[in-house]
Amino acid sequence: MKLRTLTTRSLRFHWRSHLGVVMGAAIGSAALIGALIVGDSVKGSLRERALDRVGKVRFALASGDRLFEDTMALRLDGRVLDRNSSPVPIAAALMLNGSANKADGSARAHGVTAMGIEPKSWRSLALDARPLFGFLPGQALLSEQVAQQLKLKLGESFLLRLPKTSGLSQDAVMVNREETMITLRLEYAGPAPRELLGDFALHAGQGGAQNILVPIEDLQHAVGADRQANILLVAGNKSKDDPYRYDSYLKVTLESAFSEKWRLSDLQAELDVPELGEVELRSRRVFLDEPLTLSALAADTNSQPILTYLANLITDGTHAAPYSMVTAAGAPWTPPGLRDDEIVINQWLAEDLQAKPGDGLTLVYYDPESGARLTERTNTFRVHSVVPMKIPWADRTLMPQFPGIEKAETTAEWGTAFPLVHKIRPQDDDYWTDYRGTPKAFITLAAGQTMWSNRFGNLTAVRFPVPTNQVGDGATSLQSDSAQSEPPHVASYKESLEKKILATLKPEELGLRFEPVREQALKAAEQSQDFAGLFIGFSLFVIVAALLLMALLFQFGLEQRAGEIGTLLALGLPPNQVRRMFLREGIVLAFIGGVLGTAAGIAYAKAMLLGLVTVWRDAVGTSTLKFFVTPQTLLMGLFASALVAAFTLWLALRKQVKRPARELLGGGLEDSGPEGDQSGGEKKWMSLSIGAGVVALGLVGWTLAKGDTANAGAFFGAGALVLIASLSVLTARLSQRSKSSSILHPLSSRALALRGLSRRRSRSVATVAMLASGTFLIVSIGVFRLDANRDATLRSSGTGGFALIGESTMPVVADFNTKAGRESFALNESDFENVDVVHFRVRQGDEASCLNLNRAQKPRLLGVNPDLLQGRFTIAKGEGWPALGSVLHASHSALEIPAIGDANSIQWAMGKKIGDAIDYVDERGQPFKIRIVGAVANSILQGQLIIDEAEFLKRFPGESGCKYFLIDAPTNRIADLSAKLSRALQDVGLEVTPAPLRMAQFNAVQNTYLATFQVLGGLGLLLGSAGLGIVVLRNVLERRGELAVLIAVGWRSAAVRKLVLLEHAALLVFGLMVGLVAAAVAVLPSAVSAGCQLPVLSLTVTLLLVLANGLIFTWLATRFALRGKLLNALRNE
Amino acid sequence: MLLQVSKLTKSYPAPAGGSLTVLANVSLEVAAGESVAVVGPSGSGKSTLLQIIGTLDLPTQGKVLLEGQDLTQLDQVALANVRNIRIGFVFQSHYLLPHCTVWENVLVPTLAASPPAPLLGGAGGGLAESVESRAERLLKRVGLAERLHHFPGQLSGGERQRVAVVRALINRPKLLLADEPTGALDHASAVNLGQLLVELNREEGVTLIVVTHSRELAQTMGRVLEIKDGQLR
Repeated sequence: MKLRTLTTRSLRFHWRSHLGVVMGAAIGSAALIGALIVGDSVKGSLRERALDRVGKVRFALASGDRLFEDTMALRLDGRVLDRNSSPVPIAAALMLNGSANKADGSARAHGVTAMGIEPKSWRSLALDARPLFGFLPGQALLSEQVAQQLKLKLGESFLLRLPKTSGLSQDAVMVNREETMITLRLEYAGPAPRELLGDFALHAGQGGAQNILVPIEDLQHAVGADRQANILLVAGNKSKDDPYRYDSYLKVTLESAFSEKWRLSDLQAELDVPELGEVELRSRRVFLDEPLTLSALAADTNSQPILTYLANLITDGTHAAPYSMVTAAGAPWTPPGLRDDEIVINQWLAEDLQAKPGDGLTLVYYDPESGARLTERTNTFRVHSVVPMKIPWADRTLMPQFPGIEKAETTAEWGTAFPLVHKIRPQDDDYWTDYRGTPKAFITLAAGQTMWSNRFGNLTAVRFPVPTNQVGDGATSLQSDSAQSEPPHVASYKESLEKKILATLKPEELGLRFEPVREQALKAAEQSQDFAGLFIGFSLFVIVAALLLMALLFQFGLEQRAGEIGTLLALGLPPNQVRRMFLREGIVLAFIGGVLGTAAGIAYAKAMLLGLVTVWRDAVGTSTLKFFVTPQTLLMGLFASALVAAFTLWLALRKQVKRPARELLGGGLEDSGPEGDQSGGEKKWMSLSIGAGVVALGLVGWTLAKGDTANAGAFFGAGALVLIASLSVLTARLSQRSKSSSILHPLSSRALALRGLSRRRSRSVATVAMLASGTFLIVSIGVFRLDANRDATLRSSGTGGFALIGESTMPVVADFNTKAGRESFALNESDFENVDVVHFRVRQGDEASCLNLNRAQKPRLLGVNPDLLQGRFTIAKGEGWPALGSVLHASHSALEIPAIGDANSIQWAMGKKIGDAIDYVDERGQPFKIRIVGAVANSILQGQLIIDEAEFLKRFPGESGCKYFLIDAPTNRIADLSAKLSRALQDVGLEVTPAPLRMAQFNAVQNTYLATFQVLGGLGLLLGSAGLGIVVLRNVLERRGELAVLIAVGWRSAAVRKLVLLEHAALLVFGLMVGLVAAAVAVLPSAVSAGCQLPVLSLTVTLLLVLANGLIFTWLATRFALRGKLLNALRNE
Repeated sequence: MLLQVSKLTKSYPAPAGGSLTVLANVSLEVAAGESVAVVGPSGSGKSTLLQIIGTLDLPTQGKVLLEGQDLTQLDQVALANVRNIRIGFVFQSHYLLPHCTVWENVLVPTLAASPPAPLLGGAGGGLAESVESRAERLLKRVGLAERLHHFPGQLSGGERQRVAVVRALINRPKLLLADEPTGALDHASAVNLGQLLVELNREEGVTLIVVTHSRELAQTMGRVLEIKDGQLR
């Protein structure tokens, strides 16, 4: 006979009573393992989606509106080798955001991405090498989401509206805003499957990408970007290498190959030859980018920086000349010693204005930073001298490539972006015919730059004198067209100059950076919402309830076997050995429970996943969550749950074996009175109760005073303290009950019932604790449900008092708060009475709202004038809106920009907190940090970070216009305004959403999580009720003899049943009340905050259901325990 | 005659089929105030007889008349009333409520005082008052005046059984039935309890039927009946 044999026999003999313990352990383990699997599945699904999204693409160079030549891919082809010396596939594409609608206008899709691709090279990036069938000119492949939105059938036509590409930012004064859109009619040729990169997107998002794949030539031609591209995608080969090492190597190789193979034309710049003795660097973007300027000036010390700009009016007294070019440059255009307030004018202008040296001249010009607002500024100069109409001054090539006027034959052909408000006279037209854009005046470079420097640059050209000793080396010119007309030495100089300029220029300074998109995508998935943690949290109550239930059952089993324990102790076995023996039994049971729970956990996880893609879909925003599980997860879950279960059993066992053998041999608890208490115990419990209560109230008061109403720690802390306080009161009361009174009170049935509760005080308190915790969770979660419409019109609410949110696909440069801005979209003035629009600039990034499960690595940035948000929304933590403007804040370094975001987004989607920083890279490739300084409480601003507009423009000068608008409008005109705005801004793809609706979409996530929590809390409460039932059963079975005596002394059976019911219903009611009070105290801070309402009806129904459920279990248990003839208990003695 | 038992038969279905007769045609008459001991070997049916008299069990055949009323014909409500008011019962095990004090245990039957027998209302005012003073008096009488506030776990076996006796007498029953009342007690306690039962029989005028193995206890009763093979002699 060995101990093991004894354990085995014992397990076999007591299998019935063990069944409950195993079931309890299995339920706890299933909840734990299920939660872990849900976590694995969400992560696995996101990872799979991330890989579908990027295909084989490892790096992407996305240049936005800065176009480069699509031959770049060919130039790099075969030159970028991975570590195995295999060339990696590279493809260039043109990606443009636009909108699409069905040809008959019946369906529309905003925010689509048109991807001009070259099928052959595209295939090399895709996961599937199938040819792209039916992909002919005029045809398009649509990703599933777009096809669904447009309700297209194969072969049907649709219209794709896109911005016309331009070297110029939409914000530039001289850009022609009226001809910015093109429409392309395409035929739906088939779906763009994920395997063929149909879902390709640069940023991690929750929904599928809205891609329209078009042959690249079609797109290039349509948007006026022949042979241009704006994205370069680099795939990786299959490799056994560590992905990080593979990527690091590939990146270095890529960057080096790119630097070797790029050209000025990839920067929309060119070297022109205006005069045979000179080479000029100019750009389609009008202004030369600053890094390019610096490199160009450094390339040749004899270079001449030039800035030519348009003066709307030059006046001298009553004489005025409209629309004249003015050049700011040094010699030979301006004499040495020319002061910054002096101007040199040409003969024509002098005659036109009848001006002479010494006269005062006024220059009226548009502020180049004023964009569509077209703010005019003036400056006065003194005429220094008059120059003749000959070279170098009569040089029409000094005018940059101003769109709309550059190629005009007459002034009548000018297609300027701005209204020609000044009258163009016949002599002006003659000047244009004779001299075109020849500058009429010259000022110093410093004076010009003071007036016209802007974020796009401070020069329009750099000229280089061709060295006279330059000898052609026979090298082929880079530009074959010009090679025919240029002497070899000029061509050779150009070539060497280009090399020199590019040698000191870094591609990333011009926003040409290779981003590790695959790594970013996988990281976003890897660091996604921790659903395992979330579901363990949600299931915690189920787990705890299951463990308590298990412990109760195990304890009952031990009590039944008290005699057995007593015998073993009486036979001389040391208590430790007896404890070990029983613990071994417990461990076996816990392990069996764990194994069963593993199987059940898989089923539970599948049910949860089904819930997440159906009824709880709002929480994850997806319908494609796949089941993923790893053996490690299962093993970890199994051992963790078995360990926790075994520990719980050990705790139960410890108490039992401590009792003396004599007592155990005597049937355990038969003759022992109510659980006694040491003297002063009652006082001790009351003191604990008062202490816990005071601390709980203090905590609530502190939270309210601090305004930190969403503090989870305070919530759970206050709740737990009230639970402790209430349970201490109960314990004290039961202790009191268990004591005899010196006064002889008449006995009542109620008193008898309460006496019954005090009999197994810890059992009673455990039952109340279980019920109270469940009630606390269910009730408090109900209160946390958010209502989007509550106080929606208040400025302090989550909508900020804004009625509408507008989001456009294309940037809008007009200011809707100005008459001109409204007129540019033909909007009616009266519709905008009392309407206020806050414009936001947008730098695309990862969606950081709770609608995206991926961890946002670089959240979308919005730039706004913070003054416009003053008094809007509620700052939950940190600093308010004025902090955005204070870059020089003591705690921020020069490279840090303060940002404010939505508190939920910061915490959950970004995984950050106030004071944390996120690394960004600006358009020039300069790294900078965004420091989170404030958090807005539950708002429509989820998903992004907001920074000061001025800082935004400094970092992202190329991001033109605004794409995000918050619109404050009178309540009665919201619908009308929304419809009118949508119609008027159809071309820019404006989508208008009521702010409360957006709020509701965000709230739906939280509310759905809460619903999940509530369901699982309910499940826990069900177990709690089952626990109550078991306690009833156990209590009654234990007391059958006593209850039979009641029958024997004349009680009716119904009265005995009522007594038992009363006794346990008291536990139930007390549990509910304690839970309710704890919840009331804990949610008090949140209940008084914005957007929170007390769902009185649903709470009442929930509580009644819980009560009914508990009563049913109690009644069933009472019926079951008292079934048969109770009197037999006396006879069987 | 207070109690008339006539032609009482009690059989149980036997595991191998047929039936097992525990009592066969037992008849018995007990006058008011009488004390009777029923003795016999184990399994002779003496406890069954007592439980049928005490309405805790039903006979297969025969009648039990208490003060002329046939108890076998009563419904459960009436039976509960009979047990509560007219019969007191003392068991071998005391069956005291461990969570109630001596005082409370004694008063438990008063909670079912009937008719009517409200569960929550307790006994009627007058009755409650009288039962309390009665409880106090009886507990003093049995020597437990100092133990009113003690719990059963704090009493000796003999003391617990005395509490059970007082509980049985609290509602002034006509008939006190004791089933092996001294079975779980040591000799001295058993003698004391036997003595007490006899004295209470006399003092309270309650008719006493005791089932016992103890010849010593039986001898203290006014009449001793022996039961053997289901027959009363």
